[in-house]
Amino acid sequence: MADIEPYENALDAIPGAHPYPRSSRYHDAEIGIHRQPDGTEVRYTKRRLLPPLGQPDQLDQLDRPGDEGRRHTVGSGDRPDLLGQRYFGDPAQWWQLADANPVLDPRELTDEAGKVIEVPLPGSGGERRV
Amino acid sequence: MFDVPVGQGPVHITLRMGPKLTRPVPAEVTEALLSAQITATAGERGGFQLAFDLTKNGIINRALLPEGFFDPKTRIIVTVTVKGTSDVLLDGLIVRQEVGASNQPGHSTLTVTGEDLSLLMDLEERTDRYPNLPPSDRVLAILRRYSDYGIRPDVYKEKVSQPPHQDLRVHYQTGTDLQYVTELARANGYTFYLEPGPTPGQSSARWGPEIRLGIRQHALNVNMDNNSTVDQLTFSYDGTAREEPQARWQDPGTRVSTLLPQPPISPLRPPLGRRPTPALKRRTLTGTAKQQREQAEAELLARAAVSADVISGSGSLDVNRHGYILQPRQLVGVRGAGRAYDGDYYVKSVTHNLRPGSYQQNFTVSREGLEARSAYVRP
Repeated sequence: MADIEPYENALDAIPGAHPYPRSSRYHDAEIGIHRQPDGTEVRYTKRRLLPPLGQPDQLDQLDRPGDEGRRHTVGSGDRPDLLGQRYFGDPAQWWQLADANPVLDPRELTDEAGKVIEVPLPGSGGERRV
Repeated sequence: MFDVPVGQGPVHITLRMGPKLTRPVPAEVTEALLSAQITATAGERGGFQLAFDLTKNGIINRALLPEGFFDPKTRIIVTVTVKGTSDVLLDGLIVRQEVGASNQPGHSTLTVTGEDLSLLMDLEERTDRYPNLPPSDRVLAILRRYSDYGIRPDVYKEKVSQPPHQDLRVHYQTGTDLQYVTELARANGYTFYLEPGPTPGQSSARWGPEIRLGIRQHALNVNMDNNSTVDQLTFSYDGTAREEPQARWQDPGTRVSTLLPQPPISPLRPPLGRRPTPALKRRTLTGTAKQQREQAEAELLARAAVSADVISGSGSLDVNRHGYILQPRQLVGVRGAGRAYDGDYYVKSVTHNLRPGSYQQNFTVSREGLEARSAYVRP
């Protein structure tokens, strides 16, 4: 059969056909197709919307003893990637902190010692789609 | 990293329970979890076993157990987060519970055992007729009954199309929905299973060919010094596993029976090895003479494809060292096993073993021939 599948990387030729890895914040973002006037198609990642803030599951809230483990007080020397390693085991997951405390620049998260920032619970990272 | 208990280290486990809609369990229940064992297999029903610590005056023994929190048919969803990326491992129903009360303090346990959501489809026997519906539409009609458990159908058209003729034959279902759907899948060379996720409370019911295309998972490394992620990996090559089925079909008009030609199985199972194994056995299928021609062809294709996997491997890995959860029913690369056995494999089944401080996976992989097709695997 000549039409069997691409063992090597047939998808490489198509931009945007590769999904982002599971750990990426763009994993759930939709891939759009823009058709140029001459008919060629250009793929692009659509805008990613942040998961809704500040309305955690009410039942979830009842069952938790206090806010322990959900907030972090920034100390001197903290960096978003260090916090990502500390709370998620992966420094590249700092974006989960940035999502939970909406900031434009991730450095705003930790530039002021004494600031209290929210730490999202593991497994509650918004609506994930495959 | 390996000493940090589950829940405080890079691996977090989240439990949700409830009758049909689930909610997160009280913190005491998660803390009492001693071990979890979850099995997922392609084409078979998944199962699980969770053990809890049953303290005498704990909330489980005092309130939750008598109130029916762990009753049969309670739905339970297990989510595991590795390095901030969460995966739903299980969406199932409790079937039985065992309480072991012990004289020694701290040794009383509650063990709940259950199966994944396809148990729902196996509870009730049903006789139903599906006039003028091809097999995939019959499966869709059956799966539509279970949408309130968040089961979304993921159904593919059959490879050999079987146009129904209401005046010739009306297809009847006897037995449970799961039996009928599995039987239809087997007759077409497909598999049927429920895949939990991507979000807790959802699962997709796949009725289609096994996923032997697309992106491979991160490779399993063996025998590579400190780069190896797999503790041990055993391969076995059974030459008699592959058989060449033969089917005869009788034309009802002329009464001439013909031997059906051998179909190529690559549309159903794209080859993963470079050197496919020749079939040693030749078997004749029974009952194909009086079927419709398309049905007989589909069954021939299904039997040829199902028996093609002659190489099977099994092993175990430590998720902390591997860094990713090995997902069942997808492709994965193997390296370090030598030129004959390196390459891409289909992950047949995975058993997750979780306990505080460790997360082990036992897996089986399979493919149909020796030697890799491609010069490299995805690392």
